[in-house]
Amino acid sequence: MNNTSQSIRVGLFFLLGLALAWITFESLNGGRLFKKPGYTLVAGFANLKGLKTGDEVRMAGVKVGAVGITRLAGHRVEAVIDVEPGVQIPTDAVASVEQSSLLGSNYLGVTFGTPGGPLLKDGDEIKTKPTVDMSEVISQLGNLGSKLEQVVGDIGKSMGGGGGENGNIFQRLDKLVTDNGPKLTATISNLEDITAKIKNGDGTFGKLVNDPKLHDELLASVGEIKLAAADARTFMSDTKGIVADVKSGKGALGVLLYDQSTADNLKMSVANVRSVSDKIAKGEGTLGRLLADDGLYKDAQATLKKADRALDGLGEQGPITAVGVVANALF
Amino acid sequence: MNYLTIIIGHIGGTLLLLVRSLKFLPTLPRQFARFMEQCYLIGYTSLPIVTILSFFIGSVLALQSGYSMENFGAKQFIGTLVGLTMARELGPVMVAILIAGRVGSAITAELASMKVYQEIDALTTMNIPPERMLVLPRLAAIVVMMPVLAIIANLCGWYGGALVCQYTHSISVDSEAYFTALKAYMKRSDVTDGLIKAEVFGFVIILVCCYIGLNTRGGPREIGASVTKAVVTSLILILVLDYFVTKALLMS
Repeated sequence: MNNTSQSIRVGLFFLLGLALAWITFESLNGGRLFKKPGYTLVAGFANLKGLKTGDEVRMAGVKVGAVGITRLAGHRVEAVIDVEPGVQIPTDAVASVEQSSLLGSNYLGVTFGTPGGPLLKDGDEIKTKPTVDMSEVISQLGNLGSKLEQVVGDIGKSMGGGGGENGNIFQRLDKLVTDNGPKLTATISNLEDITAKIKNGDGTFGKLVNDPKLHDELLASVGEIKLAAADARTFMSDTKGIVADVKSGKGALGVLLYDQSTADNLKMSVANVRSVSDKIAKGEGTLGRLLADDGLYKDAQATLKKADRALDGLGEQGPITAVGVVANALF
Repeated sequence: MNYLTIIIGHIGGTLLLLVRSLKFLPTLPRQFARFMEQCYLIGYTSLPIVTILSFFIGSVLALQSGYSMENFGAKQFIGTLVGLTMARELGPVMVAILIAGRVGSAITAELASMKVYQEIDALTTMNIPPERMLVLPRLAAIVVMMPVLAIIANLCGWYGGALVCQYTHSISVDSEAYFTALKAYMKRSDVTDGLIKAEVFGFVIILVCCYIGLNTRGGPREIGASVTKAVVTSLILILVLDYFVTKALLMS
């Protein structure tokens, strides 16, 4: 192997190592080897909560930069933020330390602020707000727990301790039960009797509960009642219609009830009928005579007898013709 | 007491070798070819075994941590665990052990034979100090190559862990979640700490192996003994130094 190819291989190998190292450093959180020219802002906090160099700065969840350095400055801590170029942050945007998971790993969240407002420049200070972290939540939970304990203790005291005039609740309950013991026993045994009867199917209620036939019948009768009620309803509505018609003077009955002229006519006709019947009763006129005079009756009888006889003669003459019938009837 | 003086004597001898070698540092450009040859032998030819070894170390790490972390429901932090362990500890240490076994033994054997067959004496007679021609190029080569090997080991270990996490049924953490967890809790300093450790280990290994090789006396049997001694000493030094260097890096 000659020296040149050896050198080339070693050179390539070394360059590969450098490239891998650069990739590793670039992808890890330690910031950038070659910084992009952006601008820096200062954020002051009372507590940084473990925000460290290289943590992300996110605006509405999108990475817009990284935390440069963190430092103590008097009675507060300052985080210097490197913001990527081209990202515009208004002066009223608010930064806060947020947790991306329960187990640490913080980032700096920045709000949008007012769009179109004046923008922050290099070296400006961004507004911040404190955020609640897990330890505070847990300490508040502790306070809540102690308060709860107090309340539960009070309840326990009113139930168990105290011992006022009437004793505590349990003592009173105990007294109530012992005083009314026999009554309670009687009530319970009555209840037992009733439930036993129901179970055995005694009595109406028991049958209702236990007998399926009764239940079916009950259902059927209820159905029938429903049908009847429906019929009654249609009948009622019909009646209503009739009454309305009558009221409005429609139909014969309506006219009869509500039309004065008809009533007058009716009265007149009744009077006419009466005068006619009077005349008939007195034997006046044809009808009257027909009814009162029996001469007419006798004539009619005689005529009928003649006709009878003629018909008998016809029957004896055997076959008859139409002409014969007519002739016999005429003579 | 005698034993202690021997040890202190060896420590002093090693440091003297280092100082004498560094004295010839300005001559390095003139032996560029020799430096390149050592880079090739130490770095390039170690690449396959470093890749395979670190890949499987990362995989096994993910497998074992997945098995044990399942008990805590902390499977999503396998990425963090594998990433930090590979970068801070296992990557540098395993590469150093590999270099001790693969390169350190070869160096000791070479220098010991040269010493036993009086080539070193010949060089000295020709006014060519062995530190300049034999030790300095190797030290320079390991300084350049060790971080490269370590970063390759890190990445291979990480990807091995990611593959195991994704395709092992009982773990099934997809590689996106794995690398998110890895990035969330790792800093650049974790990787640089690992590279610093690897650098220290490699330098010490080569120095010790050169020293033991150059101090071999006797015949072929002593060459073998020297190689064994060099590798054992290297391993002990790696693990002992590991503790102290880690502690120093964590405190800084």
